[in-house]
Formats: sequence, C-alpha cells, structure tokens
Amino acid sequence: MRLLDTLFDRSVTGLSRTMDLTWKRNQALSANIANAETPQYRAIDVSFGNELEKAFEAQTGSLAQTDAGHIDNHSTQGDTSQLVKDLSGPTKPDGNNVDLDLQMGRLAQNSGDYANAARLIRRQIGLLRTAIRETR
Amino acid sequence: MTRINPIEILANGMAAARMRVNTLASNIANAETTRTADGGPYKRRDVVQVAQPIPGGFSSALDRLSMQKPVVSAVVEDQAAPRMVHSPGHPDADKNGFVAYPNINVVQTMTDLLSASRLYQANVTAVETARNLQSEASKILTQA
Repeated sequence: MRLLDTLFDRSVTGLSRTMDLTWKRNQALSANIANAETPQYRAIDVSFGNELEKAFEAQTGSLAQTDAGHIDNHSTQGDTSQLVKDLSGPTKPDGNNVDLDLQMGRLAQNSGDYANAARLIRRQIGLLRTAIRETR
Repeated sequence: MTRINPIEILANGMAAARMRVNTLASNIANAETTRTADGGPYKRRDVVQVAQPIPGGFSSALDRLSMQKPVVSAVVEDQAAPRMVHSPGHPDADKNGFVAYPNINVVQTMTDLLSASRLYQANVTAVETARNLQSEASKILTQA
C-alpha cells in the first residue's frame, strides 16, 4: 500500500479496498447460491460498514512511521466490514431463506462493482505509464 | 482477508446438486421396479443436505457468522408403505393379487429434477462470475 500511495493519490487505495470488500461479498453471495437448497440454511451478506468512506478519505497529512511503536494509519486492523444475516428472502418450509434470483442479481451487480474498480486502477496505472513514456 | 475461494464453495454446491440430480434420476428410472436385491419394491431415495461451516470462514474480526458450504451427509431410503396395485398374475403379486410398487410420484420427481438442474446451472454461472473477477484483477498486472 505504501508504494501505491507515493505513486498515486488516495483513490487507488480506496479502489483496492473496494476490490477487497466486493470480493468478500462475492464469497458470501456464492455461499448463498451454493446453499440455495440446503434445509435450515440462512442467507448471509456483507455489510461494508464505513470501510469505503475510510478508504477514500483524503489522508493528506499521512503520518510517517519512523518507529515500530507508531500507529500505522494505513492498517486495516479496524476493519468494520462484517458478515450479516440477509433477511430479504421469504423463509421456505424447510427453513431456508435464500432467494436464488435475488442472489444472482446481487452477484451480477457486485461483480460489476469489482470489475469497475479493477478497470479504474488499470486506468490510473495507465496514466502513470503515459507520464513516463510520452516525452516526445 | 480470508483465503476462502468462492469457487470452492460453489464446487461443493455443484457436487450437492449433482448428487440430487442423480438420486432423483434413479427414483424416476425405478418408479416401476417391483423387485430389488433386498426384496420388495425399490424404495424412494432422498438426499440429506446440511450446511457445514468452513474452517477459517470468518473474514474479519467482527464476523460472528461464518461462510458455510453445502454437503450431502447421507442418502436415505423412504420408509413409507409401498403403493399397492391390484394385478393378479403379476409375478410379484402377493396371495391377494396385489403388487407393491415404489411410492414415487413421477411428476413431482420430474419437477424436483428440473429445479435441481437449474440450481446446478446457477452454481456454474456463479463460478464463471468468480473467474471473470479474477481475470479482471490479473489484468491490472498484464494490461495496465
């Protein structure tokens, strides 16, 4: 993360955090789809908390860590994202509450978010490359 | 971040769905089987599917829930009484002329079969999604 921050603005860090979180959500939605017919299974989802705000917040006065005891303000230790119960679907007679169509829709939307973040990071790196190369 | 791969969970989902399809197909194929090696008619088989928490399925310290994968824990035989059909002259008829047929509703089994195969497809689609995401991520390295 350090190297990224010196080369790019805060947005790349935020975008990579977006990829982390949407990947985690992809796992949760995949688990729901895999368990769509498992009796008593309760659907889960990921609550991002304020992780994205935190990641995109401009930390202009980024503190240098000159001593191992200093607080690393880039750490994701205070990760507030968490798995939560998804109560959006009706509970079927077997105690399962996965709505397959809803989950597939969310999966599609979530993968779009992930792909967009990846594309934006690629664009940022592309801009840097342009700055290096285009000296003619 | 957690090391769980969604494709692994979905592979379990595909295995469970395939097991379900196989079991239902066997039920349809044997809907009229009146004699088995164990004696008596074929007994309808059913899969028992349970959700199993994945070790290390907690992806952040706040998670109180964990990711679960579907596992077929057992295939059980239906112990309900067979369907008795009056058919004297049938080699498996009892002394009153009744033949014991498996207690299988073919129409219901067919619809269950359809829904199981759709579920398998949904898992495959989700695997494709996960693979596309991984290739998007690797493009950052190769095409930046």
